Amino acid sequence: MSTDPIWEQSHNEPEVPLAEDIAPGTANDPDAGATERATITIDGQRVETEAGATLLDACQTIETSGDVLALCSYDENAKIGPRSECRTCMVETERHGVVPSCSFPPRDGMTVHTDTERAREARDVNLDLLLSNHNLLCTTCGKNGRCELQDVSIENNVVDPRYGVMHDRDQLGPIDDSSPFIQIDRNKCILCNRCVEACNDVQVEGVLRMEGSGDDTRIGFQNGAETMMESTCVSCGHCATVCPTGALLEQGLVDATTLPVPGFTHKNSAEEIVGREYDHQPTQRTPMKSELETQNEPQASEQFTTARADRS
Amino acid sequence: MADGRVIDGTPAVRVATGSKSHGRGQELLRVANEADTSVTTAAVGSVGHVGLEPLVMATVDGKTAFYSRPSTERMETIATTLEEETAPAGGAMAVVEHDPATPVLPTPETGPLSVGSRRVLGGCGWLTPTNVDEYTDLRDDLFTDRAKDDPESVRTAVMQSDLRGRGRGDASTDTSIAAEWTTVYETSDDPLVVVNGNEADDHADGDRLLLESAPLTVVDAALSSAIALRATDVVIYLSETETIAYERVQEAASALDAVTDTGIPIRVVTGPDEYTAGEPTMALEAIEGNHRIEARRQPPGPSEYGVNGRPTLIHTPRTFAQIGALLAGNGSSGASSDPGTRLITVADDDSTLATTELSTDATLDAALSAVELENGWHGACVGGVFGGMTRSLDVPASAPGLRSAHLGTNGVVELLGESTCMVALVGERATFAKETNCGRCVPCREGTKQLVYILRRVYDGEYKSEILRELARVMRTTSLCGFGRDASRPITTAMEEFETEFAAHAKGHCPTGICNQS
Ligand code: SF4
Ligand code: SF4
Ligand code: SF4
Ligand code: FES
Repeated sequence: MSTDPIWEQSHNEPEVPLAEDIAPGTANDPDAGATERATITIDGQRVETEAGATLLDACQTIETSGDVLALCSYDENAKIGPRSECRTCMVETERHGVVPSCSFPPRDGMTVHTDTERAREARDVNLDLLLSNHNLLCTTCGKNGRCELQDVSIENNVVDPRYGVMHDRDQLGPIDDSSPFIQIDRNKCILCNRCVEACNDVQVEGVLRMEGSGDDTRIGFQNGAETMMESTCVSCGHCATVCPTGALLEQGLVDATTLPVPGFTHKNSAEEIVGREYDHQPTQRTPMKSELETQNEPQASEQFTTARADRS
Repeated sequence: MADGRVIDGTPAVRVATGSKSHGRGQELLRVANEADTSVTTAAVGSVGHVGLEPLVMATVDGKTAFYSRPSTERMETIATTLEEETAPAGGAMAVVEHDPATPVLPTPETGPLSVGSRRVLGGCGWLTPTNVDEYTDLRDDLFTDRAKDDPESVRTAVMQSDLRGRGRGDASTDTSIAAEWTTVYETSDDPLVVVNGNEADDHADGDRLLLESAPLTVVDAALSSAIALRATDVVIYLSETETIAYERVQEAASALDAVTDTGIPIRVVTGPDEYTAGEPTMALEAIEGNHRIEARRQPPGPSEYGVNGRPTLIHTPRTFAQIGALLAGNGSSGASSDPGTRLITVADDDSTLATTELSTDATLDAALSAVELENGWHGACVGGVFGGMTRSLDVPASAPGLRSAHLGTNGVVELLGESTCMVALVGERATFAKETNCGRCVPCREGTKQLVYILRRVYDGEYKSEILRELARVMRTTSLCGFGRDASRPITTAMEEFETEFAAHAKGHCPTGICNQS
């Protein structure tokens, strides 16, 4: 019994989700960094730090003895990170042992070493662990040459990763090629969460989320969709901009930097491609917000809400 | 007759059960009630010896007889003989004479029930779990009332103690709780107290025992802590499968609230029955209502940034029970480096047998007399699912003692029979870690996968012990939460204690024969 004029139904503006409906699937992390300024010593050098600084910030102001790789950290936007998941930024402190510099706060009088046996071992092993779960086929990868994982691997002189790399085709998951704008290859994802934060905290679009656990942890969509095309993506591209690896690529750049190996492309590097049924038309779009539904049922029986007004 | 205080009842019948034998306990209680005598009857919580339960206690004038798992007929006989003011001696596993008004479980001089102290377990299996009136017989006042009158005294008692947190679900596992208390108190921005009772480790029964048998001890200690720290909420967090603990804790909380009237709301929240969900920061996530549970980055920890960003004191029921013993002034006990007692649950290959309370200066083997073992054991996993493997239990029950023996502190001694293959067992533990971790950080998410692969290759004749040790070391020092820090302990300790078994497997031979089958 709609009496709406026809144009009222034809609007194409996505509805903006309310911030509280956004369910990125990640923890409510505290702010990282120090609450006050401090003077610390790193590799024998004195460093003054400001409030809000992390040990990594301090390390970056000097020439450290060890290479503090810090793959998952992201500088350009304070709303993104530190996720502190890759653990390739470990340094050794005299008081707290080996700590992740990207999120650890400098405290006055702290003594930090970047090149101890334990710190180096931690960074090396964790980087190799990342590579063990990575489809390391740089030659057919759209990020080749501008990839942060590649950069840190070169910086760390990785020659022969201790745990190998993921190359068996049966270990690889499908590439999501459904969207005309962004391609997802989870075989290259390091789960740094940058894309999820770009999508939710910077763009406030509420499309991407972290999902699953253990072995099955992956980036996915808040509306439960299997492919990007069925998600509520608005194709702003911010996720692909922040992605350190070839896991999220603008479609135009998918084969942009790959070396021409005859008959061997990024798409045929993986077992399966999903989304072939979509012909890429410039006008094509995802359902965006029109079918917005989230699957964010709390795990707890009863949500503990403590709006101050509720209490006396 | 089931009314009134069972403490004053004589003759009285108590049926003690933990959740595992609750159904059978109910049946026995029904039989006792149907005997239609003037005997006082009561359902009480477990005494700790779940392997002996339902445990029926028949009391007449300061004399109690214990019957383990009696038949229905036997239960009837006990009830009817009691009517004549005697307890049948036949079939009793022990008979104890005691002060008729004792609020603490009377224990015999010998036998399984005599093992350990009952400093925190005192009322377990003896008092009606949710009866405040009986609970106050344990001492002169409620901790909550004391905290209301003099919060400072509670605060200083804890902050000046050397008490360490108990259990993996505590924000101060194995470390001094005074530090967390001080931070919460000093942050003083609308703090909150969480009792983390979600322990999904099958054999780690200590928290369950306290919540089911002595919920008032836990709630009273938590509520008084809240007052001492000027907290405005208490949240008790349990696994969704703990139905009995849930009911009793609810009931205990409202009973205590009714008599103390603190104005501090106590809420019981349940989370998933998953091992990860008991990790303190994941408990916070579940309490906040997140649909996906992963660990939170620290520092700052929960004492500064807890539930909804509020400073949060998070202890296990076991820690709150120790705080209770401290406030009760039960005298000093245990090792000076780790005062108090520790609840140790003894389990064998397939069942949980008994939880006993050991002074921290006792050694673990003292707990063994609490159980009757049919077969021998050739090793033990100490500390729960990610405990350490050992051949000897001559290890102090204190946190520093257990740690220096590379064992876990989560209060479990799991005895491993001759037929347990150590390599297969640690493989199972690694697989569990690989499948159930939260997925957040690389050392744990990817490290556990590699642990499993590398262990599997032992069966192909390739035993890379150095690679395993290096990986375990990095997982231990760089994982984001306690799960990943503990996950490699079974492997590294088994490699130390059972090296020959690894070498044998690499040569294609499993000493127990288990791995050669199929
Ligand atoms: S993302 Fe691409 S370029 Fe980067 S390391 Fe992986 S395969 Fe190489
Ligand atoms: S897709 Fe890229 S940005 Fe997103 S989590 Fe994976 S690696 Fe990080
Ligand atoms: S250690 Fe394991 S469980 Fe803990 S945050 Fe890392 S992945 Fe999650
Ligand atoms: S950069 Fe610190 S953990 Fe990734």
